Amino acid sequence: ATLCFQAFLQMCNLPVRVICRANAEYMSPSGKLPFIHVGNQVVSELGPIVQFVKAKGHSLSDGLDEVQKAEMKAYMELVNNMLLTAELYLQWCDDVTVEEITHPRYGSPYPWPLNRILSYQKQWEVRRKMKAIGWAGKTLEQVLEDVDQCCHALSQRLGTQPYFFNKQPTELDALVFGHLFTILTTQLITDELSEKVKNYSNLTAFCRRIEQQYFEGHDKDSSTVAARSSKRSLLR
Amino acid sequence: MAAPMELSCWGGDWGLPSLHPESLTVMAYAKFSGAPLTVNTINNSWRAPKGDLPVLVSEDIVISQPAKILNFLRKQKYNADYDLSAKQGADTLAYIALLEEKLLPALLHTFWIEADNYCSVTKPWFASKIAFPLSLYLPGKMSREALNRILLTRGGPPLYSLTEVEAQIYRDAKECLNLLSKRLGTSQFFFGDTPTTLDAFVFGFLAPIYKVCFPRVQLQEHLKQLSNLCRFCDDILTCYFRLTVSGHSPAGQDTADANLQKLTQLVNKESNLIEKMDDNLRKSPQHPPRKLTTLKLAAGGEESSPMSRLSP
Repeated sequence: ATLCFQAFLQMCNLPVRVICRANAEYMSPSGKLPFIHVGNQVVSELGPIVQFVKAKGHSLSDGLDEVQKAEMKAYMELVNNMLLTAELYLQWCDDVTVEEITHPRYGSPYPWPLNRILSYQKQWEVRRKMKAIGWAGKTLEQVLEDVDQCCHALSQRLGTQPYFFNKQPTELDALVFGHLFTILTTQLITDELSEKVKNYSNLTAFCRRIEQQYFEGHDKDSSTVAARSSKRSLLR
Repeated sequence: MAAPMELSCWGGDWGLPSLHPESLTVMAYAKFSGAPLTVNTINNSWRAPKGDLPVLVSEDIVISQPAKILNFLRKQKYNADYDLSAKQGADTLAYIALLEEKLLPALLHTFWIEADNYCSVTKPWFASKIAFPLSLYLPGKMSREALNRILLTRGGPPLYSLTEVEAQIYRDAKECLNLLSKRLGTSQFFFGDTPTTLDAFVFGFLAPIYKVCFPRVQLQEHLKQLSNLCRFCDDILTCYFRLTVSGHSPAGQDTADANLQKLTQLVNKESNLIEKMDDNLRKSPQHPPRKLTTLKLAAGGEESSPMSRLSP
């Protein structure tokens, strides 16, 4: 998800530096990652950050009319609802992945037994949330099917255009890029999730295009470092 | 052809076929797509609602969530989205996600968590539809689930406090209503002239907010300012639920009739009383000498009667 913000800020032509901190969750004002630290202000979460940036005079969605703005917000919710929840599910509710990848990764900055305790706590939190929204009863296949449906919808909406709202990138593009890139590049036990996304060639082309356009200014190394840090902060 | 399908869901009031957003969505979709559903509303019977409503039962298949029920209906060839383009189908998914993320928390809050509303309207209504002793337990459980859902999806760790989240969810809900209103514009339904899945979902979420009479109604007031959304709900109710409304007149119209009867009775009583008073007044000329004369005597009238009056 950090990648969404980086992409967004790059699209606004604002320079950004990514820092990984183990206690990042506690530094954030709302407890959610990522957050930006500008001068003496700290703002977290996509909505407030977008507004903050807008207040400073940069906005990507000014060219949209009201109906398009409504559509953009709706699609952003779809991505949050489906992709984000699916990512969380895969990291924390799929037992195999949890044991082999998530627990070690989440607990790596801390010594034993703190690493196990914190990661179990996080897992319990995420499972509670899944139960509240009704995803606890879903099997992996159903989750993958939902992701597929979401990608299908995004692919339909994108069509052959370069960005979701034709010529100009918007917050939606940044958000979709962040999620899809993470899915495509994160190493998991199985490749099913990334396979689902790869089925849609216009989506992969979209990711590649944004990566080339907005991230090749940095070194390849820093962009992969950013990708890794985004994985760490994705484990929230 | 298709096996008979039975839908169990929560019943309705205040002119709606159902108070429960998800039940209402499924009922609306069935009407739009022409699916022949027998609707069983939960009433005070011992068949306790197991799990979540609405539930569709067809032969041996039991399906419980609205999205799954709609999928099943589509597979049975009852498809309200037949004429939609792929992009419109994608838009449908997106807007449904918007509704669930932004509007549903506030809806749940208005119904189940806002103390005035819950105690005076929601709990008694739902409790009256379920048999004792489940009526003591189930509304409380639904309320707790709603609270859980809101806190876990909106509240941030480590505080999970409701007050912080309340303002935010109502703001989000009002924004969502504004967005829907802009998207609907002046057309009759969201995708032209025929209703689709999205219309069913929007109707299912909006109609309870619009029609149910709560003590605390900030969301309803906001909705009433968006006249195209109100018109949208009313249109669907009159066009698609007209039969159900008149069939369900036990719920809506009979109460109106009963109220009217009560009113007429009261008026009759009043008029009877007034007539009696008139009669009394007419008859009372025999008595007034006593009273009137005392008054007149005060002004200086006959002396005999007041003397006889005043003497014990």
